[in-house]
Amino acid sequence: MDDNDFLIGSVMEDAWLTLEQIAAACTADPEWLAQRLGEGCFPDAESVAGVWRFSTSSILRARRMRQFERDFDAAPELAALIADLLEETDSLRARLRRAGVDNT
Amino acid sequence: MEFKDYYKTLGVPREASADEIKKAFRRLARKYHPDISKEPNAESRMKEVNEAYTVLSDAEKRAAYDQLGRGYRPGQDFQPPPDWDSGFEYSTHGFSPGETADFSDFFAELFGRMGGMHPHDRGAGFRTRGEDHRAKVLLDLEDAFNGATRQISLRVPRQDSQGHVHIETRTLNVKIPRGVREGQIIRLAGQGSPGHGSAAAGDLLLDVHFKPHPRFRVDGRDLHLTLRVAPWEAALGAVVAVDLPQGRLKVRIPEGAQSGRQLRVRGRGIPGEPPGDLLLDILVVLPSAESPHARVLYETMARELAFDPRHETQGSSHG
Repeated sequence: MDDNDFLIGSVMEDAWLTLEQIAAACTADPEWLAQRLGEGCFPDAESVAGVWRFSTSSILRARRMRQFERDFDAAPELAALIADLLEETDSLRARLRRAGVDNT
Repeated sequence: MEFKDYYKTLGVPREASADEIKKAFRRLARKYHPDISKEPNAESRMKEVNEAYTVLSDAEKRAAYDQLGRGYRPGQDFQPPPDWDSGFEYSTHGFSPGETADFSDFFAELFGRMGGMHPHDRGAGFRTRGEDHRAKVLLDLEDAFNGATRQISLRVPRQDSQGHVHIETRTLNVKIPRGVREGQIIRLAGQGSPGHGSAAAGDLLLDVHFKPHPRFRVDGRDLHLTLRVAPWEAALGAVVAVDLPQGRLKVRIPEGAQSGRQLRVRGRGIPGEPPGDLLLDILVVLPSAESPHARVLYETMARELAFDPRHETQGSSHG
């Protein structure tokens, strides 16, 4: 197998993502995401010259919110609150890992 | 193909009401939620629960499933009769085609057609970009230093000329770039679902995860390592060798180093722009005093060194 048989991916890290890219990455309708954005559920999103841009962490947030709304009929604000709490949990777990404490 | 008992998956009787099915689903969705569940195989159990709920929460799908499944037991060999689903019209219930592609072959065989696995059948001239797909890729820490290649298998729904959808497995060889970090997403453009009409295909998004490493802890691109040193190395200073994923590094321990002190070696963490740092947490380890000679050495130190390790803390304690 030579190098031509391999696909080379690009890391979605520092690039800013559009509303459509975030919606596609969590298999949601862009309209759904636009509504949540209007309701303030994505505090880290920025509007630059009228175009919304998101960080890659918004993908996980959008996936979680969509799942809570779908599975539990959660109101968007409640889904956003749970996403906030899970992000806080992620941050605390990362601190435990750095401290060498197994928290799996 | 084995018959799947969706009622058993959700733990409800066959005559359960829609409300009972919803309650059972929510209880299990909470139990197996990937962010909090400690259950073994939570992810695969959640897929089974989602699949069962997709069928039983939809009146048409449930009716078709009940009609077809009469007399079958879970695990029993099963083949649906041809055109068994004529007369039924299905809708999707919140799960996208990409998500239902993760469901079982049993689901694909029964509900692939009209079952929401190909929502693009909307007439000539309709153009829509293909759906993005997701997959997890599990890496070793060494892969972040050296790059890696991984073979990734994807389940992809394909529609035949009769409109039936079958699940095919597609295998991709993927190069993981050097310097990737936990939580990053690698995008393979055009490797998702095909677009409809002349629209572009979706992308394949790989969620990067690392296996826990027995020695290193990772924080972004920084590497943390507990560096065990002998008392004389800590007291007198020393140059010690540290084995890293990219080779051996010599590190100078400053004179008078104590347990808990952290040494930072810039640029020797995970590569990148900028690279991470290596953070060494000093841990002074005492040699055992089991041998008579070691005992004598300790006793000499006790006698000849005026050392009180509690000196700085005695002022605030009563002990």
